[in-house]
Amino acid sequence: MDITIRNLRRRFGKVEALRGVDLELSGGMFGLLGANGAGKTTLMRIIAGVLSPTSGQVLIGGHDMSTRQGRVAVQRRLGYLPQDLGLYPDLTAVEFLDYIGLLKGLDDRTARRRQIAELLEVVGLSDVANRKLKGFSGGMRRRVGIAQALLGDPALLVVDEPTAGLDPQERIRFRTLLATLPGRRTVLLSTHVVEDVAQTCRETAVMVDGRIVFTGAVSDLVRGAEGVTWEVVTSGPPPTVGEIVSAVSDAGGTRYRVVSVTPPDPAAIPVPPSLEDGYVAFMQGAAAGRSSA
Amino acid sequence: MIRYEFLMQIRKRSLWISMGLLAVITVLGQGDAGPRYLPDDASARVVASSWAFLWSLLLPIVAGMVLADRLVRDDRLGVSRLLESLPTTATTRVMGRFLGALAATATPIFLATVIAGGAESISREDPAVLLWTPIAFGLVLLPGLVFVGAFAMVVPLLLTAPLFRVLFVGYWFWGNMLGPSYMPSLAGTLLTPVGDYTASWLLGERALYAGADGWLQLLRPEPNGVTAALSVALLLGVGLIPLLVGSRVLARRATA
Ligand SMILES: Nc1ncnc2c1ncn2[C@@H]1O[C@H](COP(=O)(O)OP(=O)(O)O)[C@@H](O)[C@H]1O
Ligand SMILES: [Mg+2]
Repeated sequence: MDITIRNLRRRFGKVEALRGVDLELSGGMFGLLGANGAGKTTLMRIIAGVLSPTSGQVLIGGHDMSTRQGRVAVQRRLGYLPQDLGLYPDLTAVEFLDYIGLLKGLDDRTARRRQIAELLEVVGLSDVANRKLKGFSGGMRRRVGIAQALLGDPALLVVDEPTAGLDPQERIRFRTLLATLPGRRTVLLSTHVVEDVAQTCRETAVMVDGRIVFTGAVSDLVRGAEGVTWEVVTSGPPPTVGEIVSAVSDAGGTRYRVVSVTPPDPAAIPVPPSLEDGYVAFMQGAAAGRSSA
Repeated sequence: MIRYEFLMQIRKRSLWISMGLLAVITVLGQGDAGPRYLPDDASARVVASSWAFLWSLLLPIVAGMVLADRLVRDDRLGVSRLLESLPTTATTRVMGRFLGALAATATPIFLATVIAGGAESISREDPAVLLWTPIAFGLVLLPGLVFVGAFAMVVPLLLTAPLFRVLFVGYWFWGNMLGPSYMPSLAGTLLTPVGDYTASWLLGERALYAGADGWLQLLRPEPNGVTAALSVALLLGVGLIPLLVGSRVLARRATA
């Protein structure tokens, strides 16, 4: 499903959560990257039709989201995993999915039950299908969340911070699961974790303070850090030039990874950038652009 | 969908515990006018209605309490945003939840009437009491439960559930049991959810205050078959209002 967003704004009292977002995207997996408070959840809620913009236009699959008919038409083909989704603790996984399936309008009981069994298999919860949700771990809950989003084989899948709060192992499992989802559909994934996008998406947008400041291929974002990514090993004080991406204690001192236009240290050696470096480099550029503007 | 709303409510332990406790208190605390002390020659219709009316004095309080969280808990549990993103309208969701949760909440009350009716049938050797039991439940208890349940589900959206519960208990005694001659109250009117009019008609005598002189004289006609039916219609009709309001509130919130 194609999404076209033009000059989208949303204000909460004095806070401007979205300050003129423009975005075009079609099929495949798309990563929306941004720090906490950047406006990702606000944008995703508008796309899911559960929040109205203050101004601007959202077209999804040709439907205008400012009309009720448009929203319902999109919601019939939407799978949405809201940030911090809760579940009914006194239902089992199967019952919860059946409940959501009914509300999604999947009226054929046998087909619905069959799909639920398949999805529980996909997310690896078949063993606990008939257990009450109140006993589920954070990762298991998240997998129920993605299973409910996939009910009805939606053409558009919107997942908001799906890996937040998961332990590293769960996070990797979950990413692998996400990466298998696109097929013919459009998947919009929001996250503040660069690695989530690096592992799953080809296209990405970077959001800062309610604006989209970069859209394009993940590889382009990485390329932006070429020639400005350095490694320095020192037992002295940390480098003061540029931005430290990571610091690892080593035998010879601390190994710093630094994004900086000029070498942060005479001994610094240039290294090939990762997406994280690209993101940091981009944010530096954006900050410089803003301060000079 | 109604089935799941029913399941979620019937699995609530607090529903069974508080209904059970209050049922025991009701049985033990019934005065001389209680159904236990009815004469041996009382008709089956009077025995069954008398029990139904006894149950309806206090058990609906529990119903209001346990229904108060049904809509507001979606926010607390973090399910609202998901529900709002689904193509089913808020009206359908509210109605489905109301019917399912109310049916579950009414189940222990229905069981109480059946147990009492069964026991009376045996002790009075009159199976007709058991036959009258569902009729008495449907006429005396159910309309009031619909009325109370609708307000209990929706008002907390505007006031929060704890505040509603406090106000509701106050309302229950004021609106049902506070004699209209002491101070202006809704007790004894057609809108009294305790089932005063239907019970009075079934019993053939005034159950509590039905029709007694007082405030809002217009709502206090003589209790008889016609006014009992009018009372049922009014309770159901007025009960629809909060459900419609609740649907509107949720629909608006969905696209705030
Ligand atoms: N319902 C709301 N009421 C008031 N402020 C909000 C609301 N939702 C979001 N905000 C504000 O809008 C900004 C963007 O929030 P959000 O979209 O949640 O960002 P992100 O998902 O990227 O962390 C934040 O400053 C946040 O405090
Ligand atoms: Mg967010």
